[in-house]
Amino acid sequence: MKFQISNFKFQTFRFGVGLIILLIAALAAAIYFGSENLSFFELNQTQSSILFDVRLPRVLLGATVGASLAVAGASLQSLLRNPLAEPYLLGVSNGAALGTMLAFVFFSQTDFARPIFAILGASLATIAVYQMAKSRAGMNTERLVLSGVIVTTFLSSLLVLLTSLLDTTKLRSFTFWLLGDLSQATTNGYILTGIAVILGTILLSSQAKALNLMMIGERDALDFGVEVRRVRLIVFATASALVGISVAASGSVGYVGLIVPHLIRLSIGSDNRLVVPFSAISGAIFVVIADTIARVAIAPRELPVGAITALIGAPMFIWLLRKN
Amino acid sequence: MVGVTSFCNFPEDANKIAKVGDTINPNIEAIIALKPQVVFVSTASQIENFTKTLEQQNIAVFVTAPKDLNGILANLRQLGDIFGTTERTTILLNELQEKIIATDEKVAGKTKVKTFVQISKEPLFTIGKDSFLTEIIERAGGTSVTKDVATAYPKLSKETALALNPDVIILSESPDNLETNDVFKNSNAVKNKEVFKINADLLSRPSPRLIDALEQLSEALHP
Repeated sequence: MKFQISNFKFQTFRFGVGLIILLIAALAAAIYFGSENLSFFELNQTQSSILFDVRLPRVLLGATVGASLAVAGASLQSLLRNPLAEPYLLGVSNGAALGTMLAFVFFSQTDFARPIFAILGASLATIAVYQMAKSRAGMNTERLVLSGVIVTTFLSSLLVLLTSLLDTTKLRSFTFWLLGDLSQATTNGYILTGIAVILGTILLSSQAKALNLMMIGERDALDFGVEVRRVRLIVFATASALVGISVAASGSVGYVGLIVPHLIRLSIGSDNRLVVPFSAISGAIFVVIADTIARVAIAPRELPVGAITALIGAPMFIWLLRKN
Repeated sequence: MVGVTSFCNFPEDANKIAKVGDTINPNIEAIIALKPQVVFVSTASQIENFTKTLEQQNIAVFVTAPKDLNGILANLRQLGDIFGTTERTTILLNELQEKIIATDEKVAGKTKVKTFVQISKEPLFTIGKDSFLTEIIERAGGTSVTKDVATAYPKLSKETALALNPDVIILSESPDNLETNDVFKNSNAVKNKEVFKINADLLSRPSPRLIDALEQLSEALHP
């Protein structure tokens, strides 16, 4: 990973302003385009219902989920000193998915069971990957990616096993959701993800300085007085919570946590004080655009947003892998 | 009858017959072990490899793929010929024809009711132009509001669903589809309590029982 701490310069400021303008433009486009054409200046009752009950909640959910996943990815990459650390590739998303599924099966009547179980699942998967990947010699890229593959495929097979054992009709909606699906956004669904991503971004940004030092190496960071274990705990817990809450709301939207932080680092360097908040904004932009494509491309039918993010993300992943 | 799939639940007696996997994953070893003379296959199965293996074992394969009401009736006639029960089948066919004609007469000249068929609540799946149900709705005196949507069972945009504002909603009754999606809360159908459940097995299987579904539908659309 490239390591250069840039100062808060005019250029950075300009980049930040540019991102915010881009976010506003993406939100505006997402609100403007949909399977139904709305006449925004004279909305009738049906149109206003389409806008405020269906389209807007979905766009906001997409923005908050995208921001959550990107921030989780950015901080995990810095903490693990690994450019390929991503919630989806590490199996954290699958852990959250399994948790959600268990909540779905055993506590289908309790709304808040899903995010809680998803957070638990994401946390357990994170711990599992970390324990498998670390060795006395440290943690190299191959080891981490391999551990991620093992955890991901193991959890996938558990998911498949559960779906085979359970009543198929009851889980039909679940299998679709698994691919990443924002169509199941509820009117107020974005509030939980919104609160989570704001608190999460603030918390992770507060650890940015420590993360900068930890990118050099954990021992060096210790010498500088960084409480490495505390930082690790905060990052793991916050990232797991963000991924868990996102997955519970919209399934596994892949690759957001991978490509967004990388593009930011390519543009402004690796200073986490900037990478973390800028990833939040860019993650929102990425998912909002991807979901607009998912909603409009074959309207009035729909594609799952996870298919669009993966379509863009997978080639990007290969490119990054070759570059390393 | 020596073997059925695990999806086969009608009539009741089907449950007493040996299960040989389902239509997506048929257990070919179990099928061969039962030594059937003929295997009936619906197109839902991945038939090509499946039928090849059966043919190698000298087991005859008959593929049924009815696409509409006439196809179902023609299929039934063929089955009667295969089993040498042409006479009984003709009687059954006449009964079914009578039911269809009775429905046709009942709904003739009546206004077509704007109908939405909800296959799954979340995500919102409905019927499209390739579904045989689009024709059945028409025969029952309605018109499917999603009849122009591509494919047989599309996932529909909720915005479009809301804008369609159907007068009647038919729920294909299954555990995850017992109520209407929230986007319909202000639709004519929900406001006027014109929401009906019909057993998913009747609606989803292109069999003679579809005519029972037709009768139930016409009863719902034109009581």
